[in-house]
Amino acid sequence: MAEGVPQNAGYLVAAYSVVPVILLAYAVSLYRRSTRP
Amino acid sequence: MSLAQQGRRVVLAGLLLLGGVYVRALAFTPAQKIFYLHVPAAVTTELAVILVGLAGVFFLFLKDPRLDRFAEASAEVGTVFAGIVLTTGPIWGKPIWGTWWTWDARLTSTLFLFFLLISYHLLRGAVTDAGLRARYGAVLGICAVVLVGFIHLSVYLFPTLHPQPIVLRPGKPGLPPEMLVTLLLSFGVFLVLYVGFVMQRYAIALRREAASHG
Repeated sequence: MAEGVPQNAGYLVAAYSVVPVILLAYAVSLYRRSTRP
Repeated sequence: MSLAQQGRRVVLAGLLLLGGVYVRALAFTPAQKIFYLHVPAAVTTELAVILVGLAGVFFLFLKDPRLDRFAEASAEVGTVFAGIVLTTGPIWGKPIWGTWWTWDARLTSTLFLFFLLISYHLLRGAVTDAGLRARYGAVLGICAVVLVGFIHLSVYLFPTLHPQPIVLRPGKPGLPPEMLVTLLLSFGVFLVLYVGFVMQRYAIALRREAASHG
């Protein structure tokens, strides 16, 4: 493992990726529901 | 500009600010970085549910449909944030506790709150009469507030792997200043997102009502 890379970097990346995914998915859902004819 | 458009702008601002929190948390704040997403999402979920309950109490007395619309919107946004809590929690717990999940009081009651919020939406979807739907929703929302109180106190009442509160506790927060600032910034961003989402969801409820009456 490269020096300076924390051992739990994968968990960090997972957590920091899943939050915007959930938020963006909900934002898109609201947009679609509010613009549905 | 319509309420939905205003809400979209608030959410967009919130997402951009979240990028700023990411930079500060990842580059300039020491250790426990998932903390800056998990804790603000949890506090915002609790706040959303408390507001659902308060709106429910006032609705039962005032019968104002705006309170019911707000409660419905807040419950939906609270469900989304509870989803973030239940996703980031196990990801944070695995490297620290060595397990994704444990059936202790804090984790189980938080999962139960998520299911309660899902059942809130199912109940509202199942009742066709608007007055009854609002009344049932108000009662379930008040029950959810009781559960939030239990979740907060569960770490004091039962043995648990989950750490005790370090900000929302009697006395001074037990955090170094740079961690506290990042946490508060992240909480502020989650609040902005909450407001933007609720505005949009409220606008959808208004639109549905107008469609059903017209």
